[in-house]
Amino acid sequence: MFRTHIIRDLSAYHHGELPHAVKVRVEDHLRSCSKCRNAYEEIKLGSRLASVLQTTVAPESAWNRLVEAPLARLRPRWIPAVVAAAAAALILAIFVRNHVPAGPSWEVSGLAGTSHLRPGDVLQTSTSSEAQIKIANIGQLTVGPDTRIRLLVTKSDEHRIALDRGRVEAQTWAPPRLFVVDTPSASAIDLGCKYSLQVQEDGSSLLHVTLGLVALERDGYETIVPAGAFCRTRKGLGPETPFFEDSSTEFQAALQRVDSLGDSPERTQQLEVVLREAHIRDALSLWHLLPHVDAHSRELIYDRLAVLLPPPKEVTREGIAALDPKMLDAWRKIVSQLWQ
Amino acid sequence: MTNQTIDDRTIEACRRGDSGAFRLLFEAHKDRVYSIALCFFDGDEAAAKDITQDVFLKLMGTISQFENRSQFSTWLHRIVTNACLDRKRTLRRFLSFGDSGECQFRDGRASSEEKYIRREIEASVRKVIASMTPKLKMTILLKYFEDLSYDEIAAAMRCSKGTVASRLNRAHRILARKLSHLRNAFVVGE
Repeated sequence: MFRTHIIRDLSAYHHGELPHAVKVRVEDHLRSCSKCRNAYEEIKLGSRLASVLQTTVAPESAWNRLVEAPLARLRPRWIPAVVAAAAAALILAIFVRNHVPAGPSWEVSGLAGTSHLRPGDVLQTSTSSEAQIKIANIGQLTVGPDTRIRLLVTKSDEHRIALDRGRVEAQTWAPPRLFVVDTPSASAIDLGCKYSLQVQEDGSSLLHVTLGLVALERDGYETIVPAGAFCRTRKGLGPETPFFEDSSTEFQAALQRVDSLGDSPERTQQLEVVLREAHIRDALSLWHLLPHVDAHSRELIYDRLAVLLPPPKEVTREGIAALDPKMLDAWRKIVSQLWQ
Repeated sequence: MTNQTIDDRTIEACRRGDSGAFRLLFEAHKDRVYSIALCFFDGDEAAAKDITQDVFLKLMGTISQFENRSQFSTWLHRIVTNACLDRKRTLRRFLSFGDSGECQFRDGRASSEEKYIRREIEASVRKVIASMTPKLKMTILLKYFEDLSYDEIAAAMRCSKGTVASRLNRAHRILARKLSHLRNAFVVGE
């Protein structure tokens, strides 16, 4: 029996990495050997423990050094091809110069009669059409049906459109803050991301981020919306509180009531629902609520947030209720791991 | 490191010097590269960021060698492994896992917080992994962050499949023994 112990095969067995014949032998042995069964229980526990490892979002700054690296590193072996391509590009440039009006523009496809969009131009889709736009050389924009956009600025350090109504989907691969979408209720500032933004007739909007981060800005204040989160904005009021898409229905409904109500007993009631329903990722919403509620409500939020993401020792309930900047900053370093 | 948004055309575009395609590649892989490095260097964010940047800088210089995603993935795993192991060799002292602290479970009130418990378990797991030898550590990180097969791990680490199996066996048993007190809590936290 000793010679047939199969402990060294147990991880491979657990991961389905063994050939069929060996797998059968392991299974036979496990039925009759308590020592190997115990070892297998250990392997399974170890594997389940390791399975809780989750990826951490890399900081945006990791991209910065790469942006600074010379692009030539991507194509050093292609000099003859580059020379040929340059000649072709020159011919193309002469053609474009003679056939396309001067000035920076974005390429448009999918929309009859419109091939370029220039600063000051308006692009309007019908209820059955949509357009694909190249955002200079930094990204791609899909303009949904019944949508109206205006190109405001396109230059090396700023690309900005206005979304008057309808829906766009944007994906960028540029350094943060180069691409901005102005809506009637807030500006969506790209921080390296993919997202959709829908503006209603009343000027309110809904942002859904699927990759990276977007900052919603109004009057100098920013709300960070990470991947997997939504945020509504309202005309005249700016961004509401962001929330993750996997938060409970009750949480989302109560959060919307908290955002729309002024200080009142009903608002406190709804806040209690929010706090009761909040799980760890909902700390995103609780954190963004802090500056928008009264001191008593901030104490309630502190209590819940401290359970979900315990603050550093120097952060106190009273300090958070008073919005002490140092304490907020210290705690933010922990809470912001949810979106960094 | 597979990702549905990265296909052979993206690799081809990178080979042609398309910076947009390279950004896509970066976005698709950066979090897992960073996570492996972060765990490997015991929570040292600066080291993890350096490794992430080094890996993609090397990638920029050599992407033209790869004709498809499969070749690229093997190479990427290898370069992540080498970058971590090389850097570790140059470190003179062991880096602690910051102030993550001991895993301490709260009372029954917290038992309903499944995600919180999971986070606590994860912190404990990272701490135990931090105490493993570099090769054990990298083997388990490639398995659980990247879900690589034993053959793929063996290719990345330039060792045999049997060695991968042996390292994972040891790593699993270390985790189970050092965290045996989590057995019941883990069931709650799943």
